[in-house]
Amino acid sequence: MAIYSQILANGLMLGALYACLAVGFSLVWGVLNVINMLHGSFIILGGYLTWFAWHGWGIHPIVMLPVVGALLFALGFALQKLVINRVVSAPVLTTLTLTFGLDMILYNVMTYWFTATPRRVQLDLGAVSLGPVTLPVDRLVGTALALVLTLALYAVMRGSNIGRAIVAVRMDRSAAELMGIRTERIYAITFGIGALMAGVAGVVFASVFPITTNVTGTYLGKAFVVCVVGGLGSVPGALVGGLVLGLVESLAGHWFGPQQAITAGFVLMLAILLTRPTGLVGVRGYE
Amino acid sequence: MFERDLRRRAASTPRRTGLLAAALLAALAGTAAAPALAQETIKIGAPLALTGGLADEGHKQDLVWKMWVEKVNAAGGLAVGDKKMKVELIEYDYQSEGQRASQLAEKLINDDKVQFLFAPFGSGHTKIVGGVGERYQVPTIACVASSESVFDQSLKHLFGTLSPNGGMTTAMVKMFKEKFPDTKTIAVLGRDDVFPKSMAEGIAKAAEAQGLTVAYKELYPVGTMDHAAALSSIKAAKPDWIYVSGYTQDLILARKQMQDLGVTAPIVTMVTGPSYKEFTEGLGKLADGITSSSWWHHATNYTGQGVWPTTADFYKDFQAKTKGADPDYVHGSCAAAGEVIAEALKRTGSLDKAKLRDAIASTDIQTFYGPIKFGPTGMNLPRELPIIQVQDETIKVLAPADIKNAELIAMPK
Amino acid sequence: MRSGPLAYALLAVGILVLASTPLYADNYVVRTAAIVAMYGALATSWNFIGGFTGYPSFSTAAFFGLGCYVGAICQRAGVPMVLAWLIATLMVGAFAALLGAIILRLKGHYFAIGSIAVVEVCRLIVSSWSSLTGGGDGLNLPLLTWGPEQVMRFFLFVMLAILILSLIATALVDRSRLGFGLRCIHQNEDAAAMVGIDTTRYKVAAYTLSAVFCAAAGAAYASWTGYIDPTESFQILMTVKVPVMAMLGGAGTLAGPFLGAAAFVLLEEVFWANFLDWNRAILGVVIVLLVFFLPGGLLSLARKRSAGGPA
Repeated sequence: MAIYSQILANGLMLGALYACLAVGFSLVWGVLNVINMLHGSFIILGGYLTWFAWHGWGIHPIVMLPVVGALLFALGFALQKLVINRVVSAPVLTTLTLTFGLDMILYNVMTYWFTATPRRVQLDLGAVSLGPVTLPVDRLVGTALALVLTLALYAVMRGSNIGRAIVAVRMDRSAAELMGIRTERIYAITFGIGALMAGVAGVVFASVFPITTNVTGTYLGKAFVVCVVGGLGSVPGALVGGLVLGLVESLAGHWFGPQQAITAGFVLMLAILLTRPTGLVGVRGYE
Repeated sequence: MFERDLRRRAASTPRRTGLLAAALLAALAGTAAAPALAQETIKIGAPLALTGGLADEGHKQDLVWKMWVEKVNAAGGLAVGDKKMKVELIEYDYQSEGQRASQLAEKLINDDKVQFLFAPFGSGHTKIVGGVGERYQVPTIACVASSESVFDQSLKHLFGTLSPNGGMTTAMVKMFKEKFPDTKTIAVLGRDDVFPKSMAEGIAKAAEAQGLTVAYKELYPVGTMDHAAALSSIKAAKPDWIYVSGYTQDLILARKQMQDLGVTAPIVTMVTGPSYKEFTEGLGKLADGITSSSWWHHATNYTGQGVWPTTADFYKDFQAKTKGADPDYVHGSCAAAGEVIAEALKRTGSLDKAKLRDAIASTDIQTFYGPIKFGPTGMNLPRELPIIQVQDETIKVLAPADIKNAELIAMPK
Repeated sequence: MRSGPLAYALLAVGILVLASTPLYADNYVVRTAAIVAMYGALATSWNFIGGFTGYPSFSTAAFFGLGCYVGAICQRAGVPMVLAWLIATLMVGAFAALLGAIILRLKGHYFAIGSIAVVEVCRLIVSSWSSLTGGGDGLNLPLLTWGPEQVMRFFLFVMLAILILSLIATALVDRSRLGFGLRCIHQNEDAAAMVGIDTTRYKVAAYTLSAVFCAAAGAAYASWTGYIDPTESFQILMTVKVPVMAMLGGAGTLAGPFLGAAAFVLLEEVFWANFLDWNRAILGVVIVLLVFFLPGGLLSLARKRSAGGPA
């Protein structure tokens, strides 16, 4: 039984990280109806900024959290405002292709400047034991941060004017425009928030996973799965999707071997797509 | 809003089409007009992974090949019979995509008229480029492919400077059993990719053959970003030896998670992790105690022919070029690959493809990287390969005896 | 829209240019021509589901990769090469029909994501079923023993044949009730169902058509390179590249996907040959510019001009 409690703990911690990874992607998809292929690269960019600050100037990742968040928000806002807004209402193929093209550029720039060498912020905070279960402290911190950030986003979406405007645009664009909401601006802000969440996920990840441009596609794939499993465009959806995916991968890895872990995640996603396309949480209000 | 944009665009399109057409024509002209210049230089073609997943390895090859060419040309070139010819290295980025690798190999042979190919990093892509070289009967030197499966498919123009990776497993099991006689069980976790997979299967077989019990053996697929499940199962199996194979990013993650989850064993081996400085740099203290095998280490002391007569010469040049970095086996093996070509040219004194191929097949030289002599499949002959361990964040050599500078220690708790 | 004589003329010229490369150019150009034909066939295939029907499918790499593997496994079992290709085509076609019946219930973004997931699942299954597929080691195929020129010419003509078949199929569909129905679905699926179009069957037909030529091209490609492995056969990059090509030429038209594929492959050639470190970024810039300045594809320019539009 000890092994199962460990595996459940692994799955939940991984799942919280998945949720953190996917929540920005989910928001952009839900509100803008854009599949943002840049998302994986945004995460890695956040990770690199953290690593260079830590390695070059000894700045603690916690300090970098707001800095990276602000920088990526600015980047995302500018990209949406100047580039993506021009085709934001075009069919999915167009917007997906556009962000794919942008991702090729960002990927190339990062590989050129940073090279593909895997880097890691070596905090190595050790582990705590809870009975038979070992919990790595930096993952616990990562998990906590992931939850806090996700909940903060939830609070912003529910409680602030901007958040309510975003939800309004999501529900009915033309009605929102009639109410005097400047949708293009809301789109830019939403995309900025999406990039911000990706960036801070990168900060959290930098001390847990090796940072390299090689994994941008893997992160993007996880974001897909989490969004579909949990339900699109909602913060609780990303949270549920992440946790479920983390648990499923963890259990499948134990039962069927690591070779089947990722397959199990994708099969789960396809099953949910077909039986419950709105995801486990459903389309309540796109909080 | 969309309509308006469209019309505005339509007005300015003709010029743009013109540009596009011109670009396409230029493309055609560029690919078609490959002038068959009189042969003045030795041309070596190299499809390289300068971007994509293998970019780091590609850049390593690029670095040492350029060093080699520079050094050769500074000395007047390579001897072909009694005259000297300069060497030209032609590289393209194949973006870590196999299809493009074969396409670029074809381009190098047809357009750039190279006489030799250097194969890119890794067994899979070496196989692909070797297949193209075979079709055109262009000798291809592979400096980073060690899986025997690459060399057993009767590619008569493919030669590899690494020795078979089978040599890495048996010797390692033997040595660890000798030093740590309590070693009874082993857990193996390997990446499902040509080289890491063959190492994982190889070590399990070698361990069983020498009386160890394989307590856990699984592969993880490309694209795995978490090893917690596998490591928890390994922890439950309580092995005396944990063996993980994969690329640097996989191994850094695996080691970090082992620490996190309290998974450990007296011996922990990661292949080829510690052979790369990126691994030890990425892990810092966590790298301590990890053992590995490699094909070459700069502490070895070989002497031989070529632009770098001794390992020390190469080491010095390399440090000067990289401002103090240590070369790893990729650097060593690839830098020596050029000497195979130099030797073949010197002996045949001609540029005849068939003669060169035969000359390469009968290569028997000493270099700073060690002896190079190809077996019947075109692979460098087995030799005693270094077993290494990270101690105090530096690489120590445990074997072979003549270059050994440390004893095997148990993993720090 | 009905394809005008211009489209047919462009196609004929394009195919003739490709087919005649062995007469005047070296093997590398012939190879590039074969790659153009291959991507032309892939893009033309995609056009059935993506162009006519308007479903953003990203399954191309799944069909191509499965074609590679079925063909390779058959050939290794001693089936003659061309027969192996045929088996691959039929099996993958049947697979696509079954799969289509399931995932075509999804729409828009959901369908897009589902179709990408198919590629990943196929890759992972092929990769872990090592007793049949060799897993991460990949599979070796018997190399053809002819000289390099003959091999190259042979595969150029094979790829051209697949391309031509896919174009003929497009022309037939374009004129048939199926093509009409697919375009109705593109316009408004509910309305199409209301006027009596069996949308499910039509969509499955389009999805299957989008698979068979990819499978044939994949099987032929496997015989050509002589070695396949899971990561190379199921590439996400390919699955996105092919729709981009079709859009570049003009999705939903007869000649567009092929022209787009030709333009894209040639552009890639230029960048790869000339910009060692920055080729990917430059290709990205080209894609971004295309989305902005050429949303209707290359053909839309030609059509406007010939119609005497603003010039």
